[in-house]
Amino acid sequence: MICAGIDAGSRAIKIVFMETGGKKVIAKGIRDQGVEQDRLTLELFERLLKEGGIKKRDIRRTVATGYGRDIVSLADTTITEITCHAVGVRHRAPEAMSVIDIGGQDSKVIRLDGSGKVRDFAMNDRCAAGTGRFLEVVASRLDADLESLGEMASKSNTPAAISSMCVVFAETEIIGLLASGTARRDIVAGVQKAVAARIAAMAGRNLDSPIVLTGGVARISGMLQALESALGKRVNAAPEPQMTGALGAVILACEQVNGGQV
Amino acid sequence: MNSQPRQITLKEWDGHYERLRRAGLREPDYGGPISRHVEEGDYRLLRLRYDNSAASLRLWNFLLTEEERLHRARAEGKKIVGTMKDLGTVPVMAYSLDNVVAFYPDGAWWIPCVMELSAGLLTIADSLGIDESFCPVRAMLGAFVTGAHFPIPDRLICSVGATCDDFSAIAQRLDSLGYSIFWWEIPHRRRPEPDEAAVKLPGGFSAPRCQVEFVKSELERVKSALEELAGQHLDEKRFSKGVKKANRVRRYLDELRQLVFTAEVCPMPALEMLIAEMLAIHFCSDRDETIIVLRDLVDEVKRRVQAGQGVLPAEAARIFWVNPVADLQVMNLLEDCGGRICGTEYLFSHALDRIPEDLPPAEALARTALADPMAGSAVDRAERICADIGRFGAEAVLISRIPGASHCALEGEIIGDIVADNLGVPVLEIEVPPVADSVRASLRTRLEALVETIRERRQR
Repeated sequence: MICAGIDAGSRAIKIVFMETGGKKVIAKGIRDQGVEQDRLTLELFERLLKEGGIKKRDIRRTVATGYGRDIVSLADTTITEITCHAVGVRHRAPEAMSVIDIGGQDSKVIRLDGSGKVRDFAMNDRCAAGTGRFLEVVASRLDADLESLGEMASKSNTPAAISSMCVVFAETEIIGLLASGTARRDIVAGVQKAVAARIAAMAGRNLDSPIVLTGGVARISGMLQALESALGKRVNAAPEPQMTGALGAVILACEQVNGGQV
Repeated sequence: MNSQPRQITLKEWDGHYERLRRAGLREPDYGGPISRHVEEGDYRLLRLRYDNSAASLRLWNFLLTEEERLHRARAEGKKIVGTMKDLGTVPVMAYSLDNVVAFYPDGAWWIPCVMELSAGLLTIADSLGIDESFCPVRAMLGAFVTGAHFPIPDRLICSVGATCDDFSAIAQRLDSLGYSIFWWEIPHRRRPEPDEAAVKLPGGFSAPRCQVEFVKSELERVKSALEELAGQHLDEKRFSKGVKKANRVRRYLDELRQLVFTAEVCPMPALEMLIAEMLAIHFCSDRDETIIVLRDLVDEVKRRVQAGQGVLPAEAARIFWVNPVADLQVMNLLEDCGGRICGTEYLFSHALDRIPEDLPPAEALARTALADPMAGSAVDRAERICADIGRFGAEAVLISRIPGASHCALEGEIIGDIVADNLGVPVLEIEVPPVADSVRASLRTRLEALVETIRERRQR
């Protein structure tokens, strides 16, 4: 039998299929999020079934997570991304004591106990600063791809000072910096620094190591270093950081099946 | 007619109300179905979920008819006092006089929520230069300008000093609009130096004697102003009687909180408990009726506890809630997410403490006023919260920030750190605007995650 984990994020939908007993991933995929979230999820789900030669009737249980979790009609149950990211990290890096997840719409700092379970967490408020959305706005304003931001930032020797923590005001600042001739690489490096500072402020004191970074933003080179600098601690990116929530969801689905909860 | 306790929608309340009436429900003159208040513009009521007891019906109707009560008091020639930035001190004195009704104009901060911004009070505050960087209590300015909610008081009395910066600015703006305010000062409570005479305060705090004397002298000034307004001398006997009545309210609330927060199955929803606690501040403009409303609630809760009945599943996560919310619907949301309230600190814990009855009333009230959590340090507040968490057996703490409110900008973090260090329980901080619809999904995620964390901790 097989279980499925769906992470319906604000920027992307991620799905992982796992063998119920062996905890072996048998298929996974990702696609952009859109307006018709349930339909898009269903399409990805069915594409992965087809590619993996999996029959729908073999799916024993599906857990959805992510901000769009409540509208995933395929889901048997929902679990928050905080719990799912913790479980996903525990699977890949059992020694982790802290998780930083920077997603498209929000960012979280999750503290784990010795057994990898959630001890406490903090999440950004309504403000988009410190999220992938912040970086998207910057990329768009600088006429650059999101993926190229890291490379641009790596060439900077003098990161620009972005003083505002509000994405709207920061955009205004960026316009001002561009008008004053500040190099794009310095602006990007300054923005990465500002995002990292925001996360560090949210983490507060005593963030235990090892620290693992998850979420789509972890794929942007330079963010890891910016975070390490802001936290004064080493940070490791999770393998396939974007898939961590879906991985956690499918593991929890398997646990529910194996634990006789379903 | 005793129904099985549960939470129901406003629409369901209409049918339930008719059944209760047919079964012989006895109501006060302000009774009736809750839904009638929607016609008065209280649209948020349509989205809330309510406890289905007759006692809760009375509580809601009592709350939602306060404006009518104040207008009636005016028509009857009673003197109306607006006690501002006052969470339970001056009303004790005011209600000791025969011809005075005190109310809490700051309570207008809930109008934008209850009327879903339709009254335009925040827009008026904006136009007066008090924008959204201030606490939503700025809605009070709009309420004064429109005169559409409460009658303009005969006297405005406002505490200042160690209170709330936002409110002080808002009250000064009100004063500048021609609404004259009688100010009295509350100092920042500090611990006595070794060489100072120390005085014990309610809530386990202490303060130097000189601070108590100062507050007493300030309250004497307030007393004189009230006497002048009422044309009546507030002698010690009358004052003491007022303190005793206030303590009846506080005793009922103490009993209610103890019963509800420690019951195995939650017998009363968070929303009704929030409203009940708020009655301590100014008695919703009718002290005697407050006592009856609370008595009924206590009786209902006792009945439910004895029968082992409740409104939420027994496994609901036990959460201690800090600060009141601007959007009442969030109290329902917590329960939707699998939580229940086991302990609260809505910034007026001193108004729930018994006013000492073995002291002269002015001294007793001064000591109680100095025990105000807002007058003390965040550390004092956190320590009291820690003690109450132990008392009620809460498994996590939820700190609700109010956007723009200066008295909780950093306090939440300090309280969170102290609670986490001392008790090791999860702490979550959220921010709740007056209408939280647009952030509901994000709030839901946090609350669900907190409940998931509690459940996981139980399994360890």
